[in-house]
Amino acid sequence: MSTNPDAVDAAFFDTLRKHYSDDEIVELALFIGLNLGFHTFFGSLKFYPLFSPEGRLLTQAESEKFYGNAPSSLKTQAAK
Amino acid sequence: MTYVTPLRLEAITDPEMLELIAQARAVGVPDDLFPRIISRAPEQAKPIMRALLMSFTQGNVDHRLKEIIRVLLARFANEKYFASLRSRKAQAMGLTEQRIDEGCNAYEDDAKEFSEAEKWALRFADLLYLDHTQVDKEFYDNLKKHWTEAQIMELGSFMVCHYGMQMAMRALGGRGDAA
Repeated sequence: MSTNPDAVDAAFFDTLRKHYSDDEIVELALFIGLNLGFHTFFGSLKFYPLFSPEGRLLTQAESEKFYGNAPSSLKTQAAK
Repeated sequence: MTYVTPLRLEAITDPEMLELIAQARAVGVPDDLFPRIISRAPEQAKPIMRALLMSFTQGNVDHRLKEIIRVLLARFANEKYFASLRSRKAQAMGLTEQRIDEGCNAYEDDAKEFSEAEKWALRFADLLYLDHTQVDKEFYDNLKKHWTEAQIMELGSFMVCHYGMQMAMRALGGRGDAA
């Protein structure tokens, strides 16, 4: 859905149905669709988690150092 | 034809969902097909319908501009279902098909007379899902010259909901050549 939506075709659905019911497929599609939408927008707003992985409260500048290099492109991830 | 069979409308009995479907019918977006599909996941269906309707029909950004942005995003997504629907509310406010096409394809053309605020909102939609790397601090500084931070969040949240569901519908088989 994210990096190659054309690949989500009838054959793909036939395979998906071997593992998930139609109800579960709808649930997954809605979840993935929302995530596609909001990660792009929220990513552009440049805000980062309030806490470090150890649970320490961080300023946004500190948090950017922790999390700022997190994957910025799903296509990059897919290429890897 | 969608990959997942929509529920029959009679199978949807939740009063709140039926009220949301009635609200959507009045607006024209979405029509009954979308709620009939997403009601297969009833816990997700109601909040998603609420978010779609609220972000589209409420707030402080002109509904006609939102309708142009919604169609523009659906065309990006190559998602025929949502790209084919039209807001009756926007039509009643005077939005024409020609203006939608101008907003999608030629808003930078000064002859089309989009305001600077409208142009920046349309650039926001254009870039967010085509090249989000250009939506940076400088871009937001320009956007803030024309829109309040509340309006920017309203526009962003609206685009999040509608683009996300357009991609979901495309995956579920609502795709085709965009209208």
